[in-house]
Amino acid sequence: MHHDIENPYRPIETEVIEVITETPNIKTLRLRPKERISFVAGQFIELTVPGVGEAPFTPSSRPAEKDIMEVTIMKVGKVTERIHQLNKGDIVGLRGPLGKGYPIDSFKGKEILVVGGGCGLAPLRSLMYELFDRITDFKRVYYRAGCKTAKDFLYKEEIGGWAKRPDLDLRLTVDEGGSGWQENVGVVTTIMDGIQMDYASGIAVVCGPPIAMKFATKKLLELGFKDENIYLSMEKNMSCGIGKCGHCRIGTYYACKDGPVFTYAQIKNFPNIWD
Amino acid sequence: MAQKYITYNNLLTLLDELGKDYEVYTPVKKGEQRFYRKYAEPADDIVIGEVRPFEPLKAFFSPAREKVADGFKPDIPHSENKPFAIVGVKACDIKGLKVQDHVFVDHDYQDPFYIKMRSQNLIISADCTCSIDTCFCLALGTKPFPQEEFDINLSKVDDGFVAESGSEKGDELIARCSRLFTETGEYVLSKKETQRRRVTREVEENIKKNDVPAQERLGGVIDKNYESDMWKDEAKTCVECGACNTVCPTCHCFLLYDQKNEERMARFRMWDSCMVKDFARVAGGANPRPRLWERLRNRFEKKFDFFPKTADMYACTGCGRCISACPAKIDIRKVLKRLANAS
Ligand code: SF4
Ligand code: FES
Repeated sequence: MHHDIENPYRPIETEVIEVITETPNIKTLRLRPKERISFVAGQFIELTVPGVGEAPFTPSSRPAEKDIMEVTIMKVGKVTERIHQLNKGDIVGLRGPLGKGYPIDSFKGKEILVVGGGCGLAPLRSLMYELFDRITDFKRVYYRAGCKTAKDFLYKEEIGGWAKRPDLDLRLTVDEGGSGWQENVGVVTTIMDGIQMDYASGIAVVCGPPIAMKFATKKLLELGFKDENIYLSMEKNMSCGIGKCGHCRIGTYYACKDGPVFTYAQIKNFPNIWD
Repeated sequence: MAQKYITYNNLLTLLDELGKDYEVYTPVKKGEQRFYRKYAEPADDIVIGEVRPFEPLKAFFSPAREKVADGFKPDIPHSENKPFAIVGVKACDIKGLKVQDHVFVDHDYQDPFYIKMRSQNLIISADCTCSIDTCFCLALGTKPFPQEEFDINLSKVDDGFVAESGSEKGDELIARCSRLFTETGEYVLSKKETQRRRVTREVEENIKKNDVPAQERLGGVIDKNYESDMWKDEAKTCVECGACNTVCPTCHCFLLYDQKNEERMARFRMWDSCMVKDFARVAGGANPRPRLWERLRNRFEKKFDFFPKTADMYACTGCGRCISACPAKIDIRKVLKRLANAS
């Protein structure tokens, strides 16, 4: 009677069609899964390197592009190190999409402040594409992003192009200036002041390393954003992706199926959310 | 379904009968411990009754190591094994199965491997006929005799058992093998009840002697004691072996593990332990619970905070296995007592 349940643990065969070097330790893989996968920004996937293992990533490509998916990956461990050795034509495995992404329909008619740091710019690129695709749905979109140094800045040229869009208010920063950097120097919270929006009704989306998210959230609360309007992407040790293996628990939720996108209101009472 | 009586010898004939369709397991006694063993023929060490075996029942439903994907093929890796008929299952392990069911079946996503085992396996449970010092099932609301989720339950009376069916599968089995059963009379039924009362009393005395709080006193205790020093104190002797997780009938966490062969993708899942340092560590290195006492607290938080809040039950059966298994002598009853008594 239950035999029609799909096997949730088997990956879909997927071809690497291009490898793009973004920064010295970050690459973007363009992937073509043999079965169609459609996702919403903020959802994640599990990428398998055959014979090595599986690791969770959030796509960085345009959700509307249905045949191709891009994932931007920093070299940090065993699986990512092997991923960085992949070449065009290699076969990998893909599971997903998993979890809950951004509820973009509920952002309609509102002002949206997107705050990103470091590797968090990858999932946010996917969100920005989705916002751009329906930009007239929103009152105004603000983008604030920071990285350690100019050479760590993901998608530098592309984001530079966004700066020219009249429908986007954009500011960038780096922690350490130098080598021709023209914009702000300082952590991302230093470019969050002076935005001419109504904080109390605005939506904020934050994605980045836990420490950056912690301070950005604190700043947003000071500015007057409501707990339930602050969307956070929680990085946990996701494995099964479907609330079974127990690795990603955060309070009474599993980040893999109840998140990874949570509102601050959902998780603020759990202890040590930023650890 | 009316209750029937079956003699011990007829039960053994029933097990032979079951052997055609199932791999049959019964508890056997070695020294002071009981273990499940594959049933082949009558043997003196078979014990149907007494108390729970060493291994938790979950081993029959999600094995310690299991293949969950074979290449990119969409189908469920197939096993040639017959389903299990597990005989002598205890009430506490049935409570454990309810927790496992919540995780793998009654949830947003379903696990086809578990569900297959669950629908194919047969459970012939049995009343406890005694208790051991570590038994405290009643404190968690479980009586020492199965009341649900069995196909047939056996209550030992004299040289046989009162057999009660609890499912369609059980009804069919009793109907098919009706020659092995006789009617029950008032005498055996009242002996069954007397025994249930006696064992219940024994467990009550255990609980009193060890001062184990009843589950009614456990509401909110994790929140209340989250910052308490007791966690450091309790974790002092822990050696991070994970035995507590392995023997626990409710622990369900697992690790997905790929075979190290780049030519051939094969994925396994293995039981995992939240007491181990890297359990929640992310690839970038951040670890929400780097210290052992935080992981001990997390184990209790999962069982006594997460499960009651998300599944309306405590993920503890009172089987006491973790007490016997822990080389550091960390005693869940004592931890619960400290939690309930702190205010
Ligand atoms: S069985 Fe005891 S020593 Fe081993 S991990 Fe559990 S609490 Fe620690
Ligand atoms: S990744 Fe397995 S429970 Fe969340």
